[in-house]
Amino acid sequence: MSIQEKVDDYKKMLALFPNAQEKYQYLIEQAKNSEDFPEELRIDEFKVNGCQSQVWLVPEEKEDKIFFKSDSDALIAKGLVTLIASIYSDESPSDIANSNIDLMEEFELGVILSPARRNGAFSMLKTIKEVSQKLAD
Amino acid sequence: MIKVTDLKKDFPIFEREINGKRLTYLDSGATSQKPEVVINEMSNVYSNINANVHRGTYVLSSETTAKYEDVRNKLKDFINAYSSDEIIFTKGCTEGFNFLANSICKDLNPGDEIILSEIEHHANIIPWQMAADKYNLKIKYVNITESFTLDIEHFENLLSSNTKVVSIVGESNMSGMLPDIKKLNSLIREKTNALYIVDGAQLVPHRKIDVQDLGIDFICVSGHKMLGPTGIGVVWGRKELLEKLDPVYGGGDMIEEVFYETATWAPIPHKFEAGTPPYVEAIGLGAAVDYLTKLDMKNVEKHSDELRLYAKNKLENIDRLNIVHTNSNLAGCTFAMSVEGVHSTDVSLMLDTFGVAVRAGHHCVQPFHRKLNLDATFRATGYIYNNEEDFDILSDAIEESIKILT
Repeated sequence: MSIQEKVDDYKKMLALFPNAQEKYQYLIEQAKNSEDFPEELRIDEFKVNGCQSQVWLVPEEKEDKIFFKSDSDALIAKGLVTLIASIYSDESPSDIANSNIDLMEEFELGVILSPARRNGAFSMLKTIKEVSQKLAD
Repeated sequence: MIKVTDLKKDFPIFEREINGKRLTYLDSGATSQKPEVVINEMSNVYSNINANVHRGTYVLSSETTAKYEDVRNKLKDFINAYSSDEIIFTKGCTEGFNFLANSICKDLNPGDEIILSEIEHHANIIPWQMAADKYNLKIKYVNITESFTLDIEHFENLLSSNTKVVSIVGESNMSGMLPDIKKLNSLIREKTNALYIVDGAQLVPHRKIDVQDLGIDFICVSGHKMLGPTGIGVVWGRKELLEKLDPVYGGGDMIEEVFYETATWAPIPHKFEAGTPPYVEAIGLGAAVDYLTKLDMKNVEKHSDELRLYAKNKLENIDRLNIVHTNSNLAGCTFAMSVEGVHSTDVSLMLDTFGVAVRAGHHCVQPFHRKLNLDATFRATGYIYNNEEDFDILSDAIEESIKILT
């Protein structure tokens, strides 16, 4: 599935929830159902700067594709990073680096997706793009 | 007596809905909302009289200058300063502390001591750390007790002839603690020749302040936390002390005479106000001071005390909620909270869905959060436009949020 197709799927899903509270509850569910995060990866090297909570994003290269493992100590941030990691996992570095999707715009998650001082989604996406760009070069 | 339902009508922002709910704004500790009179006054300056202050000989400039300088008189009365020349405009409390730390510390000797408390805002820590580093000074921190008050015995023990500066919060933005300023002042005078600075960022918006009665040397004030605009604050200091201090910023408006090699300074207060001042913001602050004066700060204080007791009682009845709030009879209406096993950012995001605005994070009090082993808390602060209903909505929303998040 392409990045755009995955985004469209999540967009449809999030649209089922009419208000912010239900959208957050959906993210909380994603967090609770996410894969366990290996303790040894919970290190500063993989921390995403600029998040109000602690967020970890770990890229792994497998056969020319990137897979992301992720975690956060806050539930809503964890749901969000889980969703973002799944969108960009199993894709080639160049596809990710070249993708121009405005998740902020697409998901309409207002507060948590805005590029404000400590709002992390912006930083999560920036990290993913930077890692992919490095691998693509 | 403050009638909150009537008073709210003075603040246009309360017409807004957030996530389909009425706005429950409980983040005045970060910044206060603005009454229409403040917004209109600033708009009036730009629309009708705008011109740079202290410069022109034309009508507009003299009108703006008169209005700007008159704000000093309003503030002088508001805090009962000895003279309006003692009112120094800054861009905020943080700049106030940077100015004082830089100006005072350069005349100290290596090994001289600065006393702060463990619960200070970063604005009252970092400028002193920077100055201490530069001039080889020592910083000592007064302990905060388990009930989140200042440990007076420890404070007394720290005071010595080496103490040159004591700078302590007047009302804590984390625990609501209100140290007994007069008592601290008399202990300082008994044992030292130190300067006593009060961080008034939270104190001045909420309580009637009389700097002459308190006996202190300096107070830093934030305009935007007391209904005024951002970008304006005040340092009040005793005239004889301000006259001795050197300016930290150089430029236009702060000089008497300038030569190629040297310059002489203007008298206080202008000596400390280099460049074009934020005069529109200052005039906006003047309108805020008028508004608070009309309400009467005694009423503001009474409202804060009553609301704090109501809120304390309400919040203490919520299961699993830890509250960092002083047990003293008297305190500010400020509650930093946490729920075990739940991240404070999650709580504040959930509260937002109920239309409740609170702050999450360390509120610029990171060392004390670390001492309590807390990464972050979420904080509710009440002000003149908040009432019991706001805290009812908050506590219901906290209970709902805990259910959703666990």
